[in-house]
Amino acid sequence: MGSIPQRRSRNWRSLAALAAGGVLITATACSTPEAGGGGEDGGKEGPFTIGVSNGFIGSEWREQMLATLQKDFDEYKSDGVVDELVVESADVDVNGQIKQIRNLIKSDVDAIIVNPNSPTALDKVFGEAADQGIKIVAIDQAVESKDVTNVVIDQGEWASISAEWLAEEVGDGGEIIAVNGIDGHPANEARWEGAKKVFDDAGVKVAANDYGNWDQATGQQVTKDLLASHPDVDGIFVQDGMALGAFQALESEKKVGDIAITGEARVGFMKRWQEQREGDGDFTSIGVPNPPSVSVSALHVVVRMLEGKKFGDSLEGNSVYLPIPETVTDENFDEQFDAVKDEPDTYAVDHSVTAKEADDYFQ
Amino acid sequence: MSPPTAAPPAPQPDTPSPLARAGSRVASARMPTYAITGLLVVTVAATAMLQSGFFTAYGLSSTFATILPLATIAVAQTIIVLSGGIDLSIGTIVTLSSAVTVVLMEGDNARLPLAIAAGVAAGAACGLVNGLIVAVLRLQPIVATFATSFMFGGAALLVLPSPGGSASPVLTETYRMVLALIIPVPALLLLILWLVWRILRAHRVGQYLYAVGGSAAASYTSAVPVTRVRVLAYTLGGTVAALAGVALLADSGSGDPFIGNELTLGSIAALVIGGTRLRGGAGGAGGAILGAIVLSLIQGLVFFAGIPTDARELVYGGIMIAAIALAGLLTAGGPRQPGRTA
Repeated sequence: MGSIPQRRSRNWRSLAALAAGGVLITATACSTPEAGGGGEDGGKEGPFTIGVSNGFIGSEWREQMLATLQKDFDEYKSDGVVDELVVESADVDVNGQIKQIRNLIKSDVDAIIVNPNSPTALDKVFGEAADQGIKIVAIDQAVESKDVTNVVIDQGEWASISAEWLAEEVGDGGEIIAVNGIDGHPANEARWEGAKKVFDDAGVKVAANDYGNWDQATGQQVTKDLLASHPDVDGIFVQDGMALGAFQALESEKKVGDIAITGEARVGFMKRWQEQREGDGDFTSIGVPNPPSVSVSALHVVVRMLEGKKFGDSLEGNSVYLPIPETVTDENFDEQFDAVKDEPDTYAVDHSVTAKEADDYFQ
Repeated sequence: MSPPTAAPPAPQPDTPSPLARAGSRVASARMPTYAITGLLVVTVAATAMLQSGFFTAYGLSSTFATILPLATIAVAQTIIVLSGGIDLSIGTIVTLSSAVTVVLMEGDNARLPLAIAAGVAAGAACGLVNGLIVAVLRLQPIVATFATSFMFGGAALLVLPSPGGSASPVLTETYRMVLALIIPVPALLLLILWLVWRILRAHRVGQYLYAVGGSAAASYTSAVPVTRVRVLAYTLGGTVAALAGVALLADSGSGDPFIGNELTLGSIAALVIGGTRLRGGAGGAGGAILGAIVLSLIQGLVFFAGIPTDARELVYGGIMIAAIALAGLLTAGGPRQPGRTA
């Protein structure tokens, strides 16, 4: 089995030889054979090697994130823009992700796309990467490091969409329970902050709040327990990745239709939603897509960064906020469901910016 | 089974040159020392081959920056295991200490010494709690420290409810410094840790650790203060674990309420590969340090060998089993002395 670094160094050697022979016409001044030797501001010579660091593999969402990335990467590859996608993906803690990123740095990647496990604890290793001239893009959740460009959706806004729907359903003075993701997780905190504000403003009381780790089975158990201790609530706020489980808990308590529940834009849940629509006209729900293909959007952005393009006014702080895709509602359900119903149950309704839309982020 | 390393040069009795003395020490070492040295040579050679920039300043400093926390916690666990105990809470002690340190430090260089002192004190206190429960209340160490791991992990969440806080710039910058072009600061700290261990081992307390771990009853009849030695072992272990917490903080630059929890089992794997007997009484921190280096390098090797990401954990686990088996085989075949290794 050929090793990655050996292949890489061969590529670089041949590139250097070409450059020395004057065959390769360099548009910019820098073509040093050392990895990451590109200038801070000028563009580099392709093809680029892109590293990926993913620190959590317990969800189908992450698999879809990696699979769609690989697909679009292959398109860039056939165009000669990029050459290799080095993937580090495993269940790791912060230390493990620091190791992942160091491995990527040492594999001479030109850029790293990272789904970070911590908003702050990777700052120093991001600094190490930036020192080597590596561009870093964080997806799914934002980090604070100035060495990183976040390509994310606004998680607070994402959660407030379904929270507003639920607040409307239960009305002023209504009582709800909340099934959130992972306690202390940055995306979870941002989401709950957004949702909680909506509930407070609407006079909705949160009777209890627990965590289902973005896992359907855990979400089902947590919902069941919360329903047992709070049988009289009017609604359930549940984050994506757990809504199907929460719905099943509601079903086993025979309370579907009595208690309003936020849904998710995933095929498994949408199938149940469809059944309810066919059976009982009263059932209503909402699914706000959280697109796994944020990885693809990030790829478009990072390639342009490597080419030396400068951001326009799309950058807020160090973040580029992607549009949140159209919400799945009772009104547009049939159309949305038709588009994805042949996908596996775990498939999440997806969206990424196109290469052309990504161009608009830059000057 | 023959030792994997080449035969040492014959000692020259008349002129005991440093080389010859080193040679005779190799010859008198226990089998596990050969095993771990062999493993080290193989993994370092393989890493240097597969990872082109291994011997650059960044290659070395990032490698040792990753190794130091694991090696330190492995030393902490070794002290406890040598005395006949085991500590499943050690990862959460690391977490709690680093949480205490980062919360008190607030990114301020001036508060660094006090914050580290408080973190180390927290680690020592956790160790003392473990020691009292195991040695005085006489609960089974595995179960007792499993239970205290929830206490310490929970305390860490109270101190630092969500990731955040920043380490002082002096701490994070010093940790990344490379002295004399090729000597990373974490490597130097590792050397100091080993030297301190050698001093402890030569001291009466060190002898007591081995004695109590080897045979508590025999130690008792020889007037060794068994209970106090056990409490001390856990307290020392907690103190060293706290240093691992500070190292993690220097490495990441920020606090995290789960940062050390997963290191517990790694610490045990490292010391077993390093030739320490899990029943206690034989082994040493030097082996544990080498074990941690080997474990960490193997993990990198699996990546640099180009194994697909989904298969890496399987391969890593397989190699780890092989390393442990090798260490175990050579330990079993070694001379039957209740002795020590480096």
